[in-house]
Amino acid sequence: MNSNEVEILLVDDSQDDIDLTLHALRAENLANHVFIARDGEEALDFLFCSGAHTERSFDHPPKLVLLDLKMPKVDGMQVLKRIKGDARTKTIPVVLMTSSREERDMLGGYDLGVNSYLQKPVDFDDFRKMVKLLGLYWLVTNQPPVTNGKTHLAGQAK
Amino acid sequence: MSSAGTQLGKQDSAKPEPKLRALLVEDNALDAALVVRALCKDGFDVTADVVQDEAAFTRALRAHPPEVVLADYNLPNWKGMETLDVLRREGLDIPMILVSGALGDVTAVECIKRGATDYVLKDGLARLPESIRRALQEKLQRQLRHQVEEDLAQKVDELARSNADLEQFAYIASHDLQEPLRMVAAYTQLLAERYTGKLDEHADKFLGYASEGAVRMQVLIQDLLAFSRVGRNGAARGNVDCNAVTEEGLQSLASAIQESGAVVTHGKLPVVWADRTQMAQVFQNLIGNAIKFRGKEPPAVSVQAEKVDQHWQFSVSDNGIGIAPEFAESIFVVFQRLHARTEYPGNGIGLAICKKIIERNGGKIWVESQAGSGSSFKFTIPLHGPDEKKEEERT
Amino acid sequence: MKTERELLIVDDNPADVGLAREALTRCAYSGQIRSVGDGVEAMAFLEHRGKYTNAARPDLVILDLNLPKKDGLAVLAAMRAGPDLRRIPVVIFSTSQLSRDIVRSYELGANCYVSKPGNLKDYFSAIKSIEEFWFGFASLPQRGV
Repeated sequence: MNSNEVEILLVDDSQDDIDLTLHALRAENLANHVFIARDGEEALDFLFCSGAHTERSFDHPPKLVLLDLKMPKVDGMQVLKRIKGDARTKTIPVVLMTSSREERDMLGGYDLGVNSYLQKPVDFDDFRKMVKLLGLYWLVTNQPPVTNGKTHLAGQAK
Repeated sequence: MSSAGTQLGKQDSAKPEPKLRALLVEDNALDAALVVRALCKDGFDVTADVVQDEAAFTRALRAHPPEVVLADYNLPNWKGMETLDVLRREGLDIPMILVSGALGDVTAVECIKRGATDYVLKDGLARLPESIRRALQEKLQRQLRHQVEEDLAQKVDELARSNADLEQFAYIASHDLQEPLRMVAAYTQLLAERYTGKLDEHADKFLGYASEGAVRMQVLIQDLLAFSRVGRNGAARGNVDCNAVTEEGLQSLASAIQESGAVVTHGKLPVVWADRTQMAQVFQNLIGNAIKFRGKEPPAVSVQAEKVDQHWQFSVSDNGIGIAPEFAESIFVVFQRLHARTEYPGNGIGLAICKKIIERNGGKIWVESQAGSGSSFKFTIPLHGPDEKKEEERT
Repeated sequence: MKTERELLIVDDNPADVGLAREALTRCAYSGQIRSVGDGVEAMAFLEHRGKYTNAARPDLVILDLNLPKKDGLAVLAAMRAGPDLRRIPVVIFSTSQLSRDIVRSYELGANCYVSKPGNLKDYFSAIKSIEEFWFGFASLPQRGV
């Protein structure tokens, strides 16, 4: 998969949560273009086209960043701050998806401009439902700020 | 020698002769008289002014613009060739013929290169009338051509403006109509949903027709918008690989192909100079139609290309229901359909869009078909686009 | 603490607001739906001015772009400028599919951008999708007192 075709950047250090998220996305056919970063540093390299990801371009951002909060090296809040603080990346939709139940984390996220904040349900089934819904909402219902440049022919032949 | 202009003329003929007003730049009165006599002898009704310097020349030009200037090469106070500068300055398109003593061929050619219309020797004045006639004839033709060019330019301008107006109208109309239409469509559907079966059966029918009509209007407006958009976006032209474009079209038509069991093949297609998005639309429309208007058998569609004269000629051929020759032209007209909506879906805009695109690209589109025996839609694309030539020159 | 959900719809077309209400009813949305018809009224509502002194703070704002007096982007910018309103999630809901409108909305801090579909079925789906996500799963900033 071409790294400029990534639709979802999934940032999480928990393998279980990653597996569950991918599973739920696959069920909706939304998992074809997912890139996984296991810590904040990798996520930032990816989005800022640096480090191991210099082949990437700012012109092809992902449609959605799913960001966990508690991660080693660089945590979710710092990643969020950098994304929303840079003109090149601030319009990328970022959804914080975290097990944190701290209100100040949520408020802090909204203050930094997070597009939405979700608490990971404990129940597997609820978790799956949530991922399904958020995948459909952010990838289908929502219009992201950049198209991926592919020609799109409206309608069918008549 | 007179410093002011002197008028010389001939009066005695009864038959009507071509009037000629000449302005002579000559300091020798005898030479001037000889010139006039040569012209009269050949049948001109001459009115001639004679001047010797720039000031008098300019005054005479402004007072009575002549049809021809006859100038000596060398004068005591002036040079005959400088009459050209004055004429240019005054913005006058009047032929100037040098009437002079021997100059030598090189000088004569130089003078003509610099703008003199002709050069006649003073001891060869018999040539002068013919020279004048030729000069006046050329001037007339020049003026006619200029007029025709101006008229053409104006017509082209008007046409371009009119076209732009129409396109803008179509765009605005279809764009602004969508909003109120959305309301009508939505609420007639809501009415239909809420009250079908609750009022009498007339109401059910009315509600049904109303909401169907509204929805159809929405699609029509969208189609019209798409049609008016052809050529509006001003996307640049470039090299388009028709094989890739056809493959993309087949992907978009994947479900139609699967449902109908269609088999679509294509030969080796060329790279052409065109707008890629528009070419994609053309291929998708034509192939889609070939699949849609199928007969009892699964559609077999073939896309081919061959060089014909200075064009690539493409064909999209099928084994479908065909088109009777009398309809071969009307199918390309906007919203023209040959079948009821219940038989084959669609609004009849696809071919109109194809035609607009192909013609904008400098090609033609037509169909060869008989009812019941398949169709072959053909279109041409010039081998080299005008932009392409400029690109090549630049690189 | 389970309080009633508050939704503010900002749209100058009452027919569109009507459609949204109808759609929400079909989703079994059980909260409050308020609507205002222009950008100036929207700010008055949000800032509790004039007749809106006791207006409830919305949990979510569905904002059209094309509004009289003060357009959607101006309302969005004003909301994001103050400390009080900037956390309220805003869904831009507009017929415009122009790239510059979409990008500008995100730049000014819209949470998301949903195109108003032309046909009824898709319109209802869009509203349903918005309701399900924002009121079903998303955590919304609690209303201040």
